[in-house]
Order: sequence, then C-alpha cells, then structure tokens
Amino acid sequence: MFQDMLEKKRELFADGVQTVLRGHGNRNRRVVILKGNIVQNTRSESRGISARVNNKGTFGFASVAETTPEAAEKVLRAATRNASLLAEHARRSIELPPSLGVGSMPPHGVINDTAQKEIIEACQTVDNYVSTKYPDLTTRTIVYTEDSQDRTLVTSDAFNGHMITPRCYIYVFIGSVTDSGVPVELFKAFGGYGSFADNFSDVTKYYPEIDELHKRLMDKKEGVYAQSGTKTVVLGGFMAGMLAHEAVGHTVEADLVRGGSVAGKNLNKQVASELVNMVDFAHTYDGKPAPLPVYLDDEGTRACDEVLIKDGILVGYMHDRESAQHFGMKASGNARGWGFADEPLIRMRNTCILPGKNTLDEMISSIDDGYYLISSGNGQADLTGEFMFGVTCGYEIKNGKLGKGLLDTTVSGVAFDMLKTVDMVSDTLEWSSSGFCGKKQMMAVSMGGPSMRCKITIGGR
Amino acid sequence: MSDLIKMADRFDNIIKKHELAKYTYSLSESEKQEFNIEHGDFKLLRTVYSNNASIKVFLGARMGSANGTDVTDEGLEALIADATAAAESSPEDPAHDFAPDQGKHERTQGAVEPDLDRFIERIEEFLDTVAKEYPRVRILNLGASHDKWTWLSRNTNGTEFLETAGSYSFSIEISAAEGDATTGFDYTGIIAKDLDTPFIERGDIRRSIESIDASIYPETLEGEFMGSLVITPACTEDFVQMLIGNYASSGVVIDGTSLWLDKVGEQVSSDKLTVSLKNEDDRIVLSDLATGDGFLAENATIIEKGVLKQHFLGLYAANKTGRPVVKNNGGNYVLEPGDTPLDDLIAGIEKGLLLGRFSGGSPGTNGDFSGVAKNSFLIENGKIKCAVAETMVNGNLGDMFKNIRGISKELVCNGSSVMPYIAVDGINISGK
Repeated sequence: MFQDMLEKKRELFADGVQTVLRGHGNRNRRVVILKGNIVQNTRSESRGISARVNNKGTFGFASVAETTPEAAEKVLRAATRNASLLAEHARRSIELPPSLGVGSMPPHGVINDTAQKEIIEACQTVDNYVSTKYPDLTTRTIVYTEDSQDRTLVTSDAFNGHMITPRCYIYVFIGSVTDSGVPVELFKAFGGYGSFADNFSDVTKYYPEIDELHKRLMDKKEGVYAQSGTKTVVLGGFMAGMLAHEAVGHTVEADLVRGGSVAGKNLNKQVASELVNMVDFAHTYDGKPAPLPVYLDDEGTRACDEVLIKDGILVGYMHDRESAQHFGMKASGNARGWGFADEPLIRMRNTCILPGKNTLDEMISSIDDGYYLISSGNGQADLTGEFMFGVTCGYEIKNGKLGKGLLDTTVSGVAFDMLKTVDMVSDTLEWSSSGFCGKKQMMAVSMGGPSMRCKITIGGR
Repeated sequence: MSDLIKMADRFDNIIKKHELAKYTYSLSESEKQEFNIEHGDFKLLRTVYSNNASIKVFLGARMGSANGTDVTDEGLEALIADATAAAESSPEDPAHDFAPDQGKHERTQGAVEPDLDRFIERIEEFLDTVAKEYPRVRILNLGASHDKWTWLSRNTNGTEFLETAGSYSFSIEISAAEGDATTGFDYTGIIAKDLDTPFIERGDIRRSIESIDASIYPETLEGEFMGSLVITPACTEDFVQMLIGNYASSGVVIDGTSLWLDKVGEQVSSDKLTVSLKNEDDRIVLSDLATGDGFLAENATIIEKGVLKQHFLGLYAANKTGRPVVKNNGGNYVLEPGDTPLDDLIAGIEKGLLLGRFSGGSPGTNGDFSGVAKNSFLIENGKIKCAVAETMVNGNLGDMFKNIRGISKELVCNGSSVMPYIAVDGINISGK
C-alpha cells in the first residue's frame, strides 16, 4: 500500500519542525472537436511525492516525479535542507502553529477510468446533435475535459488520509453572426464531480439545456447593446457566484489580507446588505455533497465550513495554519496544492452567497428598466475589491418583463459598495464547478450564488 | 544529458515491440530551485525534480497522444497504450502530421547551473532597495527561480533534437499603502541568463514600482469621453497577443471566423506596426530549438508595416486550410520601435490615459473589448495628471491598431519579449 510506504518514512521526520509528506497524482483527459474535426485527443498522468517542512515560519519544500520509497526519502532530505538554508536568510522567526488535531481521515472518493473511444463517441454524439439540429451555426466546438486529484497525506502533527477528487465536463461552444456581421458566441459546461460514467453515460439528458443555450444565442443574435451607466439589474446565480469568488473571496484569503486587501480594515464591519450571507463550504451544502468536496487539506487540517459574511457583516477569512495563528483565528482546511510539485496555498473551495426568500420572477417583475445578467466568460478583481466581469448572456428588463437579448458587455464596481445595494435575493442557488482559479498555481474550485437584485455599473458597448 | 539519451534508447526499444510505423515523442528532465518571498521576507524554498514523457501515435491518418511523468518501463508502456488507444478511437484526419526530417541537432543555452549564493544576494539587494527607495511599496509576493532542463525529441522521420538549457526568472506582485490608503496590485517579471544586473534595473520592474507608488490616491473620473491611450510595454504585449489570437491564430482560421481570413498581403493595421515572433534575437534569453510540430524553429513576421504577412498557424491548421505553416512556437513577441520619445508621445495627447494594465477578458471574435484601466493615469493637455480608479476603457482591437498615433523609441526587454509604448486614438474612456 502506498500510504503504508509513506507512513514508514515518518521515522525520517526531523524533530522540532512540522512535516507533511504527500503522494499526489493528477489525471487529465481531453478531447476537442472543432466544427467536426478532432483537434485534440490526449490523455495525461502526473504523479509524484512532495515534502514540506515548516521550521519556525520558513518552509522547505521538495518534490520528485516518482512514487518510490527512495523518492520519499529524497524529498524529505531536500525539504529539511531547504527549510534550514532559508532560515539563515529570513528576517523573522515565529512559533510553530499549534496542532489542530491528529488522526486518520476515512478515504473519500473513487476514480474510474473510461476508454478514450467512449469519450470521443460521447463528444461526437453531442456534436452531431448540435450540427444536425442547428445547421446554421457558424461555429461549434465540443470540449471534453477531465481532471482529478489523488492525494495521500502523512503528517507530523495533523491528520493523515487518502482523498480522491474527480470531475469532468463537456463544454458546448456555439456561435452565429448578427445581420450586421457581428459574431456572437455562447457556451455552457455540463457535468461536475465524478467520473465519466457518473456524468455522461447518457448525454441526451443535456439536450434540453443545449436547446436553451441555442435559444439564448438566437436572442443574442437579435440583441442590442446595453446602455452604459449605473443600472438596477438582476444578477443571475452564475454571476453572483463569480462575484463571490473573484471580488470578495480573494480579498478574504488571509495571505491577501496581509498583503493589504480591503478586507483587512473591514473585519466585523458592514460590507454588504444584511440580506447577503457568504460561506466557503468544505464538503457539504444543504445536507448533500458540495460540488467539489474537500475533506482534508494539504496541511492535514480537517476541513470545515468558513463563514465569511453573515447578515452583511464581514466575519471571517480563509486560512492556512500559519495565517490562522497570525490572525488568532481558526484554520478551516483551505491550504491546497494542485499538483505534486505544488506547495499548498490558501485557496477557496465551494464559495457561495446563500439563497434568500424571493423568487426570480418577483425580482424581474419589480424592475421597470434594467437588465437580467445571466452568464460571464471572464472576471477579474483587485485587492481593493474593484471588479470587472464580462457579460456574455443577458436580457433587457422593460416594465417587469424580459425584453431583447444583450450583446457582449461588461459590469464593474467595487464589491463592498455594490453588495450594499442588494435588496432582493432569490431562493435558488446556482453552482458552477468547471473552472480553475489561478493564483501562482491552478486550482479546481466551485462557486455559487442566488440571483440578486442590485445596482451595478454596466459598460455598454 | 546522457541519462536522457539512455532513457530515449530504452523508449525506442519499448516502442519497437509495438511495431508502430509513425510516431513522435519527447522526453525531459528538469530541476527548479525557487525562492518565495511573502510580505518582504523569505517564506519558502522549493525544489522540484521532474520528468516528462509525451508521445503522438499515428495509425494511418488517425492520431492520439498521451503524456505523463512516469518514465519507468511500465510507465512508458502505459503511455504507448494510452496514445494508441486514443488514435484507434479517433476518426481519420490527414491534417494531423509532424515535420519532415529536420536532421539531428544538439545544443546548450542559457545559465544551466545556478549560482544560488549570488541569486540570494541579488534578491536581498532588491528587497533592501525597495524598502529604502520606495517605503510605501509592499512586495506581496516575490518568486525567484532557477530552472534547468534537458529535452530530447525523436520521430520516425529521422529528426532528433537534444537541448540543455537554464535560466533565472524573477517576478513580483506589489501594492502600495500609506495609512489606510492602499492601491490595488500590479505585477511584472523578467527572465535572465545571468545575475550581472540588479533586478530592479531589469525589464519594466522599476517603472512598475514607481507607478504603483504614485497610485495611492487615485481620482475617479466623471462621465465618458473619446480619448487616446499611451499603453505601457507590458500592456501592449497583452493587446498584441489578443490581436494575433483573435484575428490570425489557428482556431479562428480553421473555423473561418477570423476577420482577417482573406487579408494576407493586405493592410490590416497602421503602417507603424511590425509584429514578429523572434526565435533568434540577442534580447530573447532562451530561444526554441524546435516547434511542437517538429520543425527547426525560425523567426516569423506576422505583420510588417501594417501588412498581414501570414496567419500564425501550426501544422494541423496549415494542413487543414491549405495555408503555410509558421515554424515558431509563439510567445517571444517583438515589436519594432517607433521614432518618438515616450515623453513626446504623452505630450501629444490632449486627453486620455497612460494605461498600465488592462483588466478585462479576451475580446469576442469581432474584436470588441471592454475592461478596467488598472495602474493607470489621466493625461490632460500633454501632461500626466493623476492616478485613476474605477475607469473603464472600451474599444475594438482591430480599430485600435489601425489608429496608432505613435510608437516610442524606448523598448522594454523582459527576456521573453521586446515591447515599446504605443499611443492609440479612438478609445471610449468612462468613469462613474
């Protein structure tokens, strides 16, 4: 057993430091069909062992792309040496964070492989459906992407465990051209946590959503540019989730708080309407598994939920063990690395704004002149909470009813200002788990939100 | 290096058992030593030993590929099995191919062995310099690494490439603060093959620090206006990459959505603009020996004096569309300088922005872009007035590069690109 082999190397852990030995594998499958042509068709596996040693606040890390006992010994020696070498140059020396409990976590997750042939056939089935039913599209691309983590941890003073996190998606990208020659595009990702068989044994179940995507593209094709300025809008669940992640979530990561983010001076202050509640869920939401469950982080901290905003008041940050000690707070299991060569960083997990009591229909019917903003292709935010999201799908709202579709536009603002304008929150929650967050390393994260009525600056053309 | 040749010989023997008629593979070994500085102090030293093997298998006109880090016999066997299975399940497409025989080539470049003591001295010198000269600037993260690697590729057309290389890289993420007033963040970085020059004097690093230091008290603009931009070199590179990606890259040419689909030989931008992908250039620290398609890498000019010379196509896209392949991996963008000093470019602007960073997504196929002007300054009557906040810029990529009013004499070389400042007209700039 691999875990037993790692466990035997515990005898090499140095005294007076905190050590984590991690076996880590990543598996990827990818197929891309561009207008019927398979332009990517690949499978990849990366696997290795890493060690991280904390020596009074300076860290040594080493990894090897092998999974042998010799590799485990090599990374332990190198990480210990690195921590000592760096300590000679560091200007600080801190107490090691206290143990948050030791033990063994029960294993979570299974991974099942699927033949590439089966993956390609599923993609071709979707491609055939799109091309046959909607022959007038100018572009169509089907992308299958699967990635999974398989982590085994042995720690000096935290929890040990073996965790597997698989996820896979089929993206459908479709495009058309307006009468005036402007290309318009939309995409949607189908799938989620689990292996191919969990999500794509019957791809026909996604056809109604593909039809809806096409309808929205046709509405966009006939669409208009949004009028620029500050508008009352219904921000759809996907957009609210992106706001939660990009514009709020990053500012409450404790390493960025220490770097001067806007959250530093706003702890325990009103940063949003009292209707706004935001949580970074570890593994369970509403009694069911969260989209990308995290039970144990890469420092061996048992994961639990982190409440970030409660009734509009900023109440918490996300931590690793060291930052939790610095701020006098608790670590909730946010220290995560993506690949075997990646050291753990403070990362989000399943970050969402919680649902409220209104219905989407109530919210739309309450607006005389505004917009319903549904999906985004990209978003960026700053330490100040200033954000910008591209809006790829939306509609006018005129006299309480949906009007024409919108061509691509943007929304921007400052998160803690904009969230104070939220005055209605829907009773439904929309999750999105297909993306990666970039922060030195990539990381699989999920985000979610309800629809929210608020005021926001829209960019127009 | 000899280890990798032995590994390749071992791989060849394994492949022989599978009687594959056509394939191409590459193997690599690498080592990274990376210093991480957080909040101005050494935080982590990271050592990464890695291997990689990748193979493309062709069964007639069907292609499959696989890659992985396991280079044991069992791992390489599994790789062949994965790539073969992928090829077997793929439809026939004769556009999949790799380059004809390019011969055998071997070389070494860059700083293969690190001088870690000198590296640490340079890092500490940088930290001390910033603390002394720019006390309001915070170094949120500093990553400084030395990377070395050996790479080998062989294929059934007879080509063999073998290369050993090494380089230093240095990147920072910074903000500035005074009392309760703080800026957003900015980032910049360089790669180098020596440690002869202090990091603060390389690339765009000192300018980025000065810019963030001057951004602590931004002003918010009222309303909107049509103005000009003077775009910093790092931001220019982002826009050039978007321009080529949007109008001249493989994907948009294959699917026919490029607005420059039939524009080769025609004027597509201002005649001030020349965009090249340089492989051999003294200012580029590491060149590519070969392309991913197996060609010996060459310099390539995409736009010359505003005329589209060629699309930037890999071999698959070239075969698919009957257009010429570009023997360059991309990434090392070089823009030709103009003849106007930066100060004169700014002096010529009636109203606009010095755009430090564009925070926005990739434009749609039509080239329309919209985003926030970060680390940017208002220009009025030829002078820089103040830093700005919550300011949007909207325009169209194609139009923007047609409306170049000037390109600076000054160039910034960060080791992987060479960029001037460019000034453009016709941009919608809006505040609150």
